Amino acid sequence: MRERDADRVDNLDRLVDRYHLVENLESCLQCGRCTGVCPVANLSPSYNPRQIIRDILAGNKDRWLRSEEIWRCFWCANCYTLCPMDIPFPLLMMQLRYEALENRYGEKYFLPFRRFAMRALEDGLTFTPGGARGRERIMKLRGRIGLKPWPDISEKAKQEYRELFEATGAAAWMEAIKEEEERPVALTYLQGRITDAKKKGG
Amino acid sequence: MQRKRVVEPEDKIREIPAVVFLFRSCTGSLEYPGTESAVTETLRCLEVEPVTDPDQTCCSGYLLTCSAHTPEVSLAVTARNLALVERKGLDTYVFCNGCYGYLKELSHILLHNQEYLEGANELIARWGYHYAGKTRIFHVQEMWYRLRERIAAKVVRPLNGLRVGVHYGCHYLARKYDILDDGGYPTFHEEIVEALGGTPVFYKERQLCCGYAVGRGFTHREEIVQPHLFKKLKNARDSGVELITTVCPGCNVALDREQPNLRERYGEDFRIPVIDLAQLIALALGVPTAKLGFEANTVPLDDVLAKVGVSE
Repeated sequence: MRERDADRVDNLDRLVDRYHLVENLESCLQCGRCTGVCPVANLSPSYNPRQIIRDILAGNKDRWLRSEEIWRCFWCANCYTLCPMDIPFPLLMMQLRYEALENRYGEKYFLPFRRFAMRALEDGLTFTPGGARGRERIMKLRGRIGLKPWPDISEKAKQEYRELFEATGAAAWMEAIKEEEERPVALTYLQGRITDAKKKGG
Repeated sequence: MQRKRVVEPEDKIREIPAVVFLFRSCTGSLEYPGTESAVTETLRCLEVEPVTDPDQTCCSGYLLTCSAHTPEVSLAVTARNLALVERKGLDTYVFCNGCYGYLKELSHILLHNQEYLEGANELIARWGYHYAGKTRIFHVQEMWYRLRERIAAKVVRPLNGLRVGVHYGCHYLARKYDILDDGGYPTFHEEIVEALGGTPVFYKERQLCCGYAVGRGFTHREEIVQPHLFKKLKNARDSGVELITTVCPGCNVALDREQPNLRERYGEDFRIPVIDLAQLIALALGVPTAKLGFEANTVPLDDVLAKVGVSE
């Protein structure tokens, strides 16, 4: 049945946009330029930014929280670049993912980054190599091209960086998410339609 | 090449600064350290002195967008790093689109939400920092374009018509109201390539995302990233691109490191080397290749160096 105006509930977007970063979401024209330019929608048509906005504004966010699709977004922001209403869709996606994690969906897509974030807490830098051999290789290479063997970062910087993670509760947030708690993703369009190329090892 | 721009480079950078703050990039210092070296060398060559600060940390935006932690910490880290620059009274120049996008976006959020700004300043006040939004944030590519005439005059190793396909990177183009060109069809990298004596190639997929894609290479590599990259690189090769330049070490990782995997999966060996635009400028300006760190690349640059006439 067609929705009547009297049934309309305003501010459903507030349920997702808790940081107030996408205040103009309700101005969405449903024009679909975001989806036309989206490199992920191109390969995986079930990922549809226009549909995500429509569902959020209709109070139907749960189907996306439970989905595999939201974890595919590249965060390239091409959708924002082309949006005639300047809706910063990536900031909405970021908050959808937080909410999915809070409902214990999608941990497996979060855990690889926690590993990097934990190491960043030690180094004050992201993507430092984990092992001693990797470190040695980079230090040699940097030395050879005339740079200091390790990027110039002070103990003070590392200490303050670590303390900010603790003071804001970000460190606690990372530690709270446990792998074994993951609930199965209920909605997925995973199979087929992505590519016809053969996978590694047949 | 377009002549009318969103912002004229002479308006964006009015006076050429003698000293700038160079914001260290994690990937550009660790994965491809040649980027850090080339940016520093090129700036010096152009008579702009880069200053760094050992108290600066990672911009911390990248892990934010992977949902690895919450925005509060990234906002505080941004305020802290930029407060360091403000103490020096300098403008901030970054050489990674990631750092550029996150510093711009997070500082924008801070400066337009009193509550967030106060929260961040309260957190960093314990070490005596205060962020007021005075330092302006630029990408070094804007400086390269601003100084294009200075660059053209200093070329000692012209590129001999090398066919270069440029890659602007999404996180630069997405700042659609701040950037030099029309984000829908930018051309200023191509103009720099021409100034160096190269032939810019407008391949169809040049504005396609790198596919490094804020971590999707770790979680959706086979499902999304590889088919996506295959499309881009195939188009580049079919258009005769001999070298791809980026302005983001993250893009460099995806476009360079994935090529052997694409060969294994699709049976096509692209062998298109990928370097930073600063490395290409430094090469043309005669910076010794020993300082450019090309040995960090997965796809070797032998053919490119031979064409430019470097025998080292």
